[in-house]
Amino acid sequence: MPDRPNALELIEAVTEFLSSEVLPAAADHRLKFRTLVALNALGIAYRELESSDDLVIGQEELGELARRIRAGDVDEDLHARLKEHVAAKLRVSNPAYLERHD
Amino acid sequence: MVATAPWCDELAAKLGQRVDSMQLLPGGASKEAWAVEADGERLLIRRALAGVIHEGTLSLENEFQVLEAAIEAGVKVPRPVAYLGELGGREAFAMELVEGETIGRRIVRDPPEGLEVELAEELAKIHAIPLERLPFLRSGDVIGRFEDELDSVGDPRPAIEYGLWWLREHRPEPVADVVSHGDFRIGNVVVSKRGLEYILDWEFAHLSDPREDVAWPLVRAWRFGADDRRLGGVGDVGPYLERYEELSGRAMSERDLEWWEVLGNVKWAIGCLTQCRRHLTGLDRSIEYAVLGRMAAEMEYELLDLIEHA
Repeated sequence: MPDRPNALELIEAVTEFLSSEVLPAAADHRLKFRTLVALNALGIAYRELESSDDLVIGQEELGELARRIRAGDVDEDLHARLKEHVAAKLRVSNPAYLERHD
Repeated sequence: MVATAPWCDELAAKLGQRVDSMQLLPGGASKEAWAVEADGERLLIRRALAGVIHEGTLSLENEFQVLEAAIEAGVKVPRPVAYLGELGGREAFAMELVEGETIGRRIVRDPPEGLEVELAEELAKIHAIPLERLPFLRSGDVIGRFEDELDSVGDPRPAIEYGLWWLREHRPEPVADVVSHGDFRIGNVVVSKRGLEYILDWEFAHLSDPREDVAWPLVRAWRFGADDRRLGGVGDVGPYLERYEELSGRAMSERDLEWWEVLGNVKWAIGCLTQCRRHLTGLDRSIEYAVLGRMAAEMEYELLDLIEHA
């Protein structure tokens, strides 16, 4: 176990700093936008560390699967499996997108 | 950033005008943009960046020629002023500096009425530019190019591969090539309260099936969160297609555009990954590019969803 604050708690601390101190003081549009992008990035990192979900398709299978699809080897179940895989990624990267989409 | 470039005198000589001020504008991955005031005239100087070669983008000389052809055809574009050749050792041209809103999120919040129809009008004018007017424009096998780009990223992405597979399996009957803008969408247009003012960002111009351009602003990412307005977050697709047909004679239904909408999502998914590479490889470190790598999953989901309902 690392000392506290652990990684999640550090991300939270930086998130709070950016949103309560940097964002309100950001003078121009561009800095404000980039701060929001940074907050978004921290949110992804937080959810990734917090998540205990395994990806539907494991890292070691991705390459082989991609090669098979490129070669035209596509079976009936593949679409549903891919959609589940991508939905799992979105629950980390952008859960609001998934909710809005469905 | 207020700065004077070492090529300021060279610029003045080439323009034949006194340069009163110049300011480097933020952003721009492949080109730099300078706001310049010359004899009271406000200009934008687009200039190449060192060491950046973007595949599939035009040279600045060709981009300038496309702007000239577009303005001749009556397309709303900033006035091209002069191709400058090399400026401080790098290619550049000058065009009119225009004002107005370009930020997608702001435009979709309160789009001017009829914007979707105005977009169709500009697109029909672009697609009417005679091919022989711009002999350097190229067409090509877009799916093959996407495969190459995805391979160059080096990350296996089965969902994108699935999109590419579906596109190969369902190729529509081709329509004759037109001069296409190549990145025609909200975010690359200038809008004011009056409506559509200018079409920007011509560096991806090429020859293609007209449906490629027509469908590109339908891609969900270009609705900037206003998901229910399928045309770029600003309007309905129906009036857009009707106006385009009136002016171009090309009838298209939303259903005809499905294949192209999937193509657009594949294109932008790969675009996100290639831009993220700029960050990961250290070529161009940027939080914005970094996050794009994780955004590609949104296009993966959308393309799978579109295919499911096609």
